[in-house]
Amino acid sequence: MTVIGERIPRSDGQSKVSGEAIYGVDYAEPGMIWGALLRSPVSSGRITRLDTTAAMAMPGVHAVLTAADAPDAYAGWVLRDQRLFAVDRVHFEGQPIAAVAADTLAQARAAAAAIDLEIEPLPAVVDLDHALSPDAPLVHPDWESFVPTAGPDFPRGGNLAAESISDPPGVDEAFARAHRVISDEFVAQRQYQAYIEPKSAVGIFRDGRYTIHTAHQFPYNVRDRVSQFLNVRPSAVRVVGHTIGGGFGAKLDASLEPYAALLSRAVRGLAVKLVNTRTEDLITCPSREGAITRLRSAVDAEGNIIARELEVIADNGAYSGEMPWLASIALHCARGVYRAGPTRVVARLVYTNTTPTGAFRGVNGTYLYHAVERHMDHIAAELGVDRLEYRLRHLFTDGEELLNGQVLDDAGILRQGFEAIEAAAPWAELQAEKRPYRGIGIGAAWWLTNPSAGTAVVKMHEDGTVAVVTAATDNGSGAVSMGVTQVVAERLGIPPADVHIALPDTDVAGFDGGSQGSRTTRIVGKASQIAADEVVEKLKNVAAGLLEAAAEDLEVAEGTVRVKGVPGKSMTLAEVAVTAMNTVGPIQGTGSFVTPFPDFNPGCATGLMLPSFPTPTYHVHLAEVEVDPVTGNVRVLRYLVAQEVGRVISPDGTYGQVMGAVTQGIGYALHESLRIGEDGRYRERTLESYRLPLAGDVPRVEFFPLEHPDPDGPFGAKGVGEGPVLLPAAVIANAVSDAIGKPFNQIPITPEEVLAAIQS
Amino acid sequence: MSDSQTVSVTINGHVYTADCDPRLTLADFIRHKCGLTGTHLGCEHGVCGACTIMVDGRTARACLMLAVQVDGSTITTVEGLASGNELNPLQEAFWDNHGLQCGFCTSGMLMCATELLEENPDPSAEEVREGISGNLCRCTGYDSIVKSVLAAAEKMRS
Ligand code: FES
Ligand code: FES
Repeated sequence: MTVIGERIPRSDGQSKVSGEAIYGVDYAEPGMIWGALLRSPVSSGRITRLDTTAAMAMPGVHAVLTAADAPDAYAGWVLRDQRLFAVDRVHFEGQPIAAVAADTLAQARAAAAAIDLEIEPLPAVVDLDHALSPDAPLVHPDWESFVPTAGPDFPRGGNLAAESISDPPGVDEAFARAHRVISDEFVAQRQYQAYIEPKSAVGIFRDGRYTIHTAHQFPYNVRDRVSQFLNVRPSAVRVVGHTIGGGFGAKLDASLEPYAALLSRAVRGLAVKLVNTRTEDLITCPSREGAITRLRSAVDAEGNIIARELEVIADNGAYSGEMPWLASIALHCARGVYRAGPTRVVARLVYTNTTPTGAFRGVNGTYLYHAVERHMDHIAAELGVDRLEYRLRHLFTDGEELLNGQVLDDAGILRQGFEAIEAAAPWAELQAEKRPYRGIGIGAAWWLTNPSAGTAVVKMHEDGTVAVVTAATDNGSGAVSMGVTQVVAERLGIPPADVHIALPDTDVAGFDGGSQGSRTTRIVGKASQIAADEVVEKLKNVAAGLLEAAAEDLEVAEGTVRVKGVPGKSMTLAEVAVTAMNTVGPIQGTGSFVTPFPDFNPGCATGLMLPSFPTPTYHVHLAEVEVDPVTGNVRVLRYLVAQEVGRVISPDGTYGQVMGAVTQGIGYALHESLRIGEDGRYRERTLESYRLPLAGDVPRVEFFPLEHPDPDGPFGAKGVGEGPVLLPAAVIANAVSDAIGKPFNQIPITPEEVLAAIQS
Repeated sequence: MSDSQTVSVTINGHVYTADCDPRLTLADFIRHKCGLTGTHLGCEHGVCGACTIMVDGRTARACLMLAVQVDGSTITTVEGLASGNELNPLQEAFWDNHGLQCGFCTSGMLMCATELLEENPDPSAEEVREGISGNLCRCTGYDSIVKSVLAAAEKMRS
């Protein structure tokens, strides 16, 4: 009996449907008081007055803190460019200027509002192209003093927060001899992760250390950020995780946690809780960055792309967070999954006076694939070749060598993806059945599984069940509550219900790279599998004496240790575990795992901080849309996904990731507008104006998993969760362009734009 | 500061009486005064539906009501759906059909679906989609929620 690939009830299901689950925002401590932040109302300015006297005198107020009360420290995931509170200058709307602790939340908010603040506005850098022009004001005049968090400095300067350039030989020559050159420009807006649970944190200063309770995707990263901001060593910070009400990348870096910690210290150790209002959450969230992508392809007489140029300018916002690492993703996506000759890639990340951007599922890939796949449609149209036929002709095959020198041994899986889509939705039939205002889009992608390290301890209880101690978090995907649970259950031959996985606690569990990049089932699953294997070995050794057999003749299965092929010669795991208490001591195992980066050519680019894509997966999507010529609304009628997953561990979890990610992609393509005004402030400020997809907006996704088990993954698993968000914007934009007969090169595609295109 | 008022409501069969600020929302009353944190707040603005509860048998958004408005009312929150430790068919169906991921929208979805099935015990998939279209879920893409509600409906009819 295997549980791999089987449907199992998720271990957190009961508590989530009964209302018992304690989310971060629900967490409370005895004697807890409340905090609130005073945030900058403008995106750029000089603080000319900051007086906390009146606020301090408000009812219930315990403390009011400003930069003067915080350590003189800079913090940051990749670059230490950020301080806890604004000092002298403010750099984005929503930037914390002061923090208050009071008996009640209402009192804390009232006191924050009573702080006497005056800001003299300064010009805001907002436009991406302008940010790099010589006459643009510098967002950080002191940029040179910023220090990388680890390792050597990287290419940056002035408003250029990071840069990655690859300039292989032969590009200009190929453009010079091209039969034709096809150029496009694409613009993508920001996207808000819009998890339904707003951010919160509880901080406690006790015994000279900080304890933070938070619902977080990456507790160890919170530990590091709090330690930087508060200028203490990392081990002086303990982060305890709670059930997460969604994150999608936005809960990977610290947010309210350092303020909760510092406030608690200021009030002599009382627990202090901060909770974002939805508007605070929206305007300060590290959203998916806006970007401008420019593509030029040189095409020869036969229609081959003989060279390409890709330039992308992405919006870093006022501080860098994780972003500089991600700039090199442009190199990995510049050709999509199609041969395109030597390719010059220039990726620039620019500082602006806007909210810092950050990770959102499918980092950078959503708009890069939108650009590349729209461009492919454009090239095919210019050549008068069918779009699908053109893609298949130039599709990567096994052994494809990429721009960074990485070799994709299994890129032939892409063709299987196209075949799976073709079988379900034959292209010729779709074309033949086409009606006015209907359109079809197709596209493909490859992606990584995040390789970051993870570790787990599997310990056997005397009743034959096990606990898994890990700092991994289940962001809702089921990666822990099903995936890792199943891997451990399978290895130990016990029911998944007998595997209990603790919530993360950095004092207890070893480092984990966080719930990001589809890594948890694969990396933590593998670490847990290794740990479970150690448990199996120990169980066999203890049982060998009792069963009077050699350890190698034993197997652990069906809740027992038994002699292979000898029915009846067995002991329950509980019996073995109890015996161990008197012989070798408690049984537990430890496992650690990290995926090495695939080989690459270090000389291929400057600023190559994410050098190659480990554990590649392959993706083909098709969308059929209908445009309403009266309202300009676009409806997605049909959506198909073929995706390489290694091996399906949990069918519900896998499909849930695909359906959920495609829905976020549909939102990105059509509904979710996060506009930035000329003043650097967001126009959309609530979930009313920031329109998320609703139940009626999305069709059931038709999903075709492709399974090529990865020998290094637990039972063959590769990453699943991110890939399906990469292509909806691309294929929907292609479909809408097909429906109207005009190019749609901006995300989101608004009804106004659709109507304008129809009427022009 | 306005004078506090005494509010007494029956929630999930228990009577809760508390003094509260007249501006206290019903959601905060339920979460903080009664300690029932299963009712979630996603927007505090009437948009997301996470705070959906039943007031005198009809769904309502707890973030949009004041505690003083419900004095004397009978309220059901997600904690009141199960009988003891036994989940009701809707809760079971959400768990069985992967009708939740992070689960933060789930309380509101369950309350919304409860009313939907009371009014229409045999809905079509389209009717369920329509019925839950006032509740936001950022994780699932809704399909598994629709499936869960249909499965519960079938079970409750048989
Ligand atoms: S919290 Fe009440 S509707 Fe969102
Ligand atoms: S399950 Fe996360 S919001 Fe619905």
